[in-house]
Amino acid sequence: MGRITLDHIAKAYGSVEVLNDINLKIDDGELVVFVGPSGCGKSTLLRLIAGLDQPTAGDIRIDGAIVNRVPAADRGLAMVFQSYALYPHMTVRRNMAFGLENSHMPRKEIEARITEAARMLEIEAYLDRRPGQLSGGQRQRVAIGRAIVRNPTAFLLDEPLSNLDAELRVTMRAELASLHARLKTTMIYVTHDQVEAMTLADRIVVLRGGRIEQVDTPLNLFNKPENLFVAGFIGAPNMNFFPGQVEETLPDGLSVSFLDGQKTPVKAATNSGAAMGAVTLGVRPQHLHLAQDGEPQIPVQVRLVEALGAETVVHATASGGERVLAVLPGQPAIAKGDRIALSYRRDLLHAFDGDGMRLAGN
Amino acid sequence: MAASTIMKKTGAALVAPVGWLAALIDPPLRALQKATGLNGMAAFFLAPNMAIFGIFVLFPLVINFAYSMTGGSALFLSGRTYVGAEQYERLLTCENYLDKRSCVEDLFWNAAGNTALFVLFQVALMTVVAMITALILNRELRARGFWRAVFFFPVLLSPVVVGLIWRWILQRQGLLNYLLHQFGIDQVLWLTDRFWAFAAAIMVSVWAHMGFYALILLAGLQAIPKDLYEAAEMDGTRPARVFWRITLPLLMPNLIVVIVLALIRAVQIFDEVYVLTGGGPGTSTMFLTQYIYEIGFAQLIRNPGLAAAASILMGAVLVVLTLLQLAASRRNQNAGAAK
Repeated sequence: MGRITLDHIAKAYGSVEVLNDINLKIDDGELVVFVGPSGCGKSTLLRLIAGLDQPTAGDIRIDGAIVNRVPAADRGLAMVFQSYALYPHMTVRRNMAFGLENSHMPRKEIEARITEAARMLEIEAYLDRRPGQLSGGQRQRVAIGRAIVRNPTAFLLDEPLSNLDAELRVTMRAELASLHARLKTTMIYVTHDQVEAMTLADRIVVLRGGRIEQVDTPLNLFNKPENLFVAGFIGAPNMNFFPGQVEETLPDGLSVSFLDGQKTPVKAATNSGAAMGAVTLGVRPQHLHLAQDGEPQIPVQVRLVEALGAETVVHATASGGERVLAVLPGQPAIAKGDRIALSYRRDLLHAFDGDGMRLAGN
Repeated sequence: MAASTIMKKTGAALVAPVGWLAALIDPPLRALQKATGLNGMAAFFLAPNMAIFGIFVLFPLVINFAYSMTGGSALFLSGRTYVGAEQYERLLTCENYLDKRSCVEDLFWNAAGNTALFVLFQVALMTVVAMITALILNRELRARGFWRAVFFFPVLLSPVVVGLIWRWILQRQGLLNYLLHQFGIDQVLWLTDRFWAFAAAIMVSVWAHMGFYALILLAGLQAIPKDLYEAAEMDGTRPARVFWRITLPLLMPNLIVVIVLALIRAVQIFDEVYVLTGGGPGTSTMFLTQYIYEIGFAQLIRNPGLAAAASILMGAVLVVLTLLQLAASRRNQNAGAAK
C-alpha cells in the first residue's frame, strides 16, 4: 500500500511561511506531480513527506498512520534526488546495497534485489563502475535503482530529470512512465517542467506561494483551470489573456466585450455574483486560427514568427497593444510586420472574474 | 566642474606616468624580443624571480652542502678544511643502532628519536583534534563564524609568543598549577618532568597549529554535498556509519594533505618548543632543528660542518615527505577529474 494523506500541513522557517494549509490525498499506485514556479514550496512539501523536514503544523499519514515523528528511514519511502546523491566513492553495486546493508538484510537477498533492479533499468554492465564513470542518464538510472531495491511503499522524485539534456529527458520521461506502469507503486514527482507534469501525472498538484491552487488530471487542468494562475501556468505557450467587461446576462452565460469592444458570449453560471463587472478572457495560443469570413476577428500585427515545421508560433500585438500568441498548424505564409486577423472558437474561451477565479469555459 | 569630470582628470593624471614609462621601455623591449624571440623574453621576465630563488634558496643549499663536507669551527668557508663525508660518518656511526648511547653523535640520535616520537604523537593527535574541531564547526552552531575565528586565532600568533604564553601557564608557579592548587590538587612539574615536558611540547604545538588544519578539513567537509547525507538518512544509516562510510572517504583527499603538511611541519618543530622548554629537562624535548642550531651556533665550540650535515639529512627526510604531499595532491586532482 502507498496511500499518503496530507492534512492541513504548514511549514515555516522562522517568520517565513513556506507552506500553508496543504490538504491532499494520494491514492495507492497513483503518480502525482507537484508543479509550480520556483519557490512555490513543492520541494519542501516532498521533503516533509520524506521525513527530511518536519511540518510546523498538520499531519502526514502513510496508509492511515500519522508519521510526523517517524524517522525518514522508517517511513518506507525512497527518494530520488535532483543531484542523484550517489556516493561518489562507491561502485554502483555498493551504492545500491548501502541502504539495504543498514537494515542487516542477508547478502543473498541484497544481491538478488540489485540484480533484479539492474536488469529492469538495464544497468547490469555498470554495476562495478563508480558514478563518476557514468553519463548523466546512467547515473539517473542508478539513482532510481537505489530507490527500487528498497522496495518502498512510495517513490519520491525531486526534479530527477532536471540535470539531463533535452533529448535524454524525453527518453527518461518515457522510461519513468513505463517503470511506474510496471511497478504500480505510488510516486510523487516534483518538477517545474509542465511538460513532464502533463505527460507523467495521473494527477497534478499546482502550487503557488505555498498553497495548492488546483489538483486535477492533466487534461482537466488544461481544459478547466480554476483560476488565472493555473490557466497561465499550465499549457505551453502560455494562455493569452484579454481584459473584458460583462455587458449583459444571457440565458446560458454572459456577453463580454473585449479588444476594442467586440462582444462574445461566454458560458457561465448566470447567478455568479461576479457576473456583472470586469472579467478576464483567456484563449490558448493553440485555439487561435487565421480568421475566415464571418468569424469573430482579432486584428493583429505580427512581431515575430517562429516556424517550427509542424506548426508556427506567431507573436503579435492587437490594436489595443495587447500581446497575442498564436500557434498555427503547418507553415502559413506570415512574416514579421504583416497585419493578419486571428479568430477563436467561442466554446474554447475561458473567463475569469475580477478575483481571477474561473467563471466559464468549454 | 562636475565630480565625474574631476575624477576622470585625476585618474588620467595618475595613469599618465604609467603611459610614459611604457613608452620609454617599449623600444628596448621590442629590440630585445626581436633579438631573443618569445622564449628569451620569458626568461628575461623570469630572471628576477630566479635570481631571488637562486640567492636565497639555491645558493644557501649549495653552501650548506659544502659546509657539511668541511671540518673545524671557523665560520667562513675559506677557513675550513675539507673532510669529505666525515661529518655524515660521524652522525651515522653507531655500534648498535638500537642503542643511541653507542652512537658517536648520540645527541643527534637522541634528537632524531625525540623528533620521530614527536612526529608520531603530534601528527596523530593533531589530525584527530583538527578532525573533531572541523566536524563541530561544520554543524549548525550559534555564532559559528566566531567559533571558527577562535579556533583559528592561535595560528596567527608568533611561535615565540605561543611558547611564552604556555611557559607562563605551565611553569612551576604558573597559572595551571595555581588553578590546580585552588582545587586542592598537588602541583605538577609540567616543564621539568621528562614525560610532562614532552607531552606539553606536543600539546602546545597542537594548540598552535590545529586551527590551520581544521580549516582545511572544514573546507573538505563543506564540499561534501548535503544530498549525500540526506540520502544516507533516507537509507537509515547510523551516524557512526555515516562518518566512516561517507564522510571519511570523501574527506580523504583533504585528510592526506593535512597529514603530510602536519608531518613536514612536525619534523621542522623548533621555535615554540625551544621557548617553552629550551629542549629540557636534559635533552628530553630537544628536536633535530634545535640540535642543528645548538651544534652550529649556540655551543661554545661550534661545529658548523656537523650541523650542516645534520640539516642535509633532515632535508632529505623533508624532501621525501614533500614528494609524498605532491603525490597526494596529484592523486586528489586525478580523483577530482574522474568525478
